[in-house]
Amino acid sequence: MELDPHVLHVAIRWLHVAAMATAFGGAVTVLALSTRPDVDSAGAALGVAVRYEWLFWAAAGVLAMTGIGNLAAFGSGLLGPATSWGMTLLLKLGSVLALIVLSLPRTLAVARLCVSSGAMADSVVTLRNLYGATAGAFAVILALAVWLAHG
Amino acid sequence: MGSAMKLVTWSLATFHATVFVLVIVLFAYSRDALGAGLSGLNTFVGLGLFVALWATTYVTTSRALQGLDLIGSAPDRSGYGWRAFRWGAANGMSFLAILGIVAIFTAVSNTRPGQVTSGILLPAVFIAPFALVISAAVGGVVGLIFGTIDLGLFALAGLNEQDAEPTV
Repeated sequence: MELDPHVLHVAIRWLHVAAMATAFGGAVTVLALSTRPDVDSAGAALGVAVRYEWLFWAAAGVLAMTGIGNLAAFGSGLLGPATSWGMTLLLKLGSVLALIVLSLPRTLAVARLCVSSGAMADSVVTLRNLYGATAGAFAVILALAVWLAHG
Repeated sequence: MGSAMKLVTWSLATFHATVFVLVIVLFAYSRDALGAGLSGLNTFVGLGLFVALWATTYVTTSRALQGLDLIGSAPDRSGYGWRAFRWGAANGMSFLAILGIVAIFTAVSNTRPGQVTSGILLPAVFIAPFALVISAAVGGVVGLIFGTIDLGLFALAGLNEQDAEPTV
C-alpha cells in the first residue's frame, strides 16, 4: 500500500510544529524560572536549562529535517527568492541559521555553569539573558513562519 | 565521559549537521535552484539522508571529542582543530558509504539479474576508491571549517580562559 503524499506532508508539518513548540516553549519556561529571585529557584532553573539544552538540539535537528520536507512539498511550485514570499523565506532561513549558531555558545555557557561552583545569583542573571535572547529570536522566527503560512 | 561533555558532544554534532544542511539550502534557494533540486527527491529518502548524516556526524563527533575536556581544559581545546579535520574526513567517508550502499541496492533492485555484475557492481568497485578519497577531502575541509567556527564559539561562550575546573 502506498502512503498518500498529503498524509505524509501533514505528518511532517505536525512534527515541525511540535519541535518548534518544544524549543520555543522550553526557552520561555527556563526564562520564567530564571526570573524568580530566590537561590533555590536558581538551582532548579539551571537543572531545567541543562535538560532543555538536550531537547533544544533534538528539536533543532527535527526542525531542519522537517523544514526541508515542508519546502519539498512545494516541489517545482516553490516561489523564487525574488518574490516577497521568497525574501521572507530567506530572512527566516537566515534567522534560523543565526539562532542555531548562537545557541552553541549558550549550551556551552550552561554546561560551564553546571560544572562551576560560582555564585547562583550570577548564574540566574546569565540564564535570564541567554533565554530571554533565545525566546526573542524564536518569537521573530515564529512571526516569519506565520507570515509565510498565512500572509 | 562527564554529563556536561555528553551534552557538548550532542550539541556539537547536531550543530554541525544542521548548519551544514541549512547553508546548502540557503545557498541553493538564493540561486533559485532549491525547488527543482527537492522535487526530484523522494520524501522518505530525503528524511533518511538527513538522519544518516546526523547519525554519522554524532558518531564521528563523539570519537573526535573522546578524552577531551573542552569545557575545563585549554590544552584540550588547542588540539581540537586537528581532530575536527581527521574526524570530518571520516564523517565524509561514512556518509558516502551509506549513500553508496543505498544507491547500489536501489540500482540492483531495478536491474535484470544478468546485468548486475557488469552494469552495477564492477563500476561501483572501480569508482569507490576515488569517491572515498574525494569524500574524505571534502569531509576534512568541512571538519576544519567547523573546527575553526567551534573554537570561535567556545571563545564567545567564555571558554578562552586558562584551565577552569575539570569536568571529566
